[in-house]
Amino acid sequence: MESEAGDNAKNLWKNQQVEPIQISLAELRKRAQKLEKRIHRRNLREYVAGAIVIACFGYYIFRFPDPMIRFGCVLVIASSLFVLYQLRKRGAARAVPAEMAFRDCLDFHRKELERQRDLLRSVWTWYILPLVPGVLVFMLGDFQWQMTLPNAAVHAGHVKILFGLRVAIVVVIFIGVGKLNQWAARRLQRRIDALNSVEKEF
Amino acid sequence: MRVESIPTAVSRQGQLYQEAADSYGAALGRLARGYEADPDRRRDLVQEIHLALWQSLAGFDGRCSLRTWVYRVAHNVAASHVIREHRTNSRTLVGLEVLETLPTGNDGDRVADQRHALEKLLKLIHQLNPLDRQVILSFLEDLDAASIGEITGISPGNVATKIHRIKNVLARKFHEGGNHGK
Repeated sequence: MESEAGDNAKNLWKNQQVEPIQISLAELRKRAQKLEKRIHRRNLREYVAGAIVIACFGYYIFRFPDPMIRFGCVLVIASSLFVLYQLRKRGAARAVPAEMAFRDCLDFHRKELERQRDLLRSVWTWYILPLVPGVLVFMLGDFQWQMTLPNAAVHAGHVKILFGLRVAIVVVIFIGVGKLNQWAARRLQRRIDALNSVEKEF
Repeated sequence: MRVESIPTAVSRQGQLYQEAADSYGAALGRLARGYEADPDRRRDLVQEIHLALWQSLAGFDGRCSLRTWVYRVAHNVAASHVIREHRTNSRTLVGLEVLETLPTGNDGDRVADQRHALEKLLKLIHQLNPLDRQVILSFLEDLDAASIGEITGISPGNVATKIHRIKNVLARKFHEGGNHGK
């Protein structure tokens, strides 16, 4: 009885009418290129942001005569390169191989989400912390340089307030970046939880 | 190591895709029907499957059959679609073992015509979680247990148990329907 029901269901299934969908190779190539362009643009954004920081601080090395400012610039450039390297090495999303068996595919996807989550959670150590010394040395150097300028004594109060403001802005930006990444990590955690709950139903 | 020039590799990818589309195009249409009930979204899903298949064939190395490859890609894309939908509408999906224990409801009704029987079969499939859905759809496509194991990544013993459950569920749901599908 079971076998007969199985055979009947197979016949029913294979004899059903399905709407034929034809997609030309040209159309497939066009769609694939569109996807690739989107990924390429996303990667480019990261590098352009890094290149702007490096170009600005590279310009400051020549613009400011003070050795401490220059040292700060060198530190910022070095830490930016380090962050870009980390982004390239650890941040690149690995596509799930489409031909993987389903179970392995789920495992791969979950591990990938967990990896991205951990990367975002640890942003304080690999993204923010390396940038802090350079930015601090740069700002201190700038403060010191301004205090050595002629008539510095007249504007000392103004320079100190400006320095305090700059430090406050940088601290707010760094904390903001950190918090934003923590928020993104929590979003990823929700996706991981959803995936786990779906998997439990298997 | 065999080194292929880029145009050769591209044309091989195209040839493989054409072969896959010709041989399994109809099966992919049926597979999409097992995952998506809405016709418009189903059309999008079929296109998504074709795109993933074409892209994946650039890396086809012949370590498994083209058929296994096609079904793996198609099921992965379709299962991702179900998981995505599941996140938005949080509909509960069940396994075959749950389906086996559910009361038969109006299954006593005679499933007279094929259309009605097919609708009923699809309703049953759409209740299943992605893994069991892969197994039942592969079973309905007449794939053997070894191939189903290759596609889903579950052990042959597990496949055999699931197939037994599928037959049991089908017998309970459709036996009263007499000779549908014949």
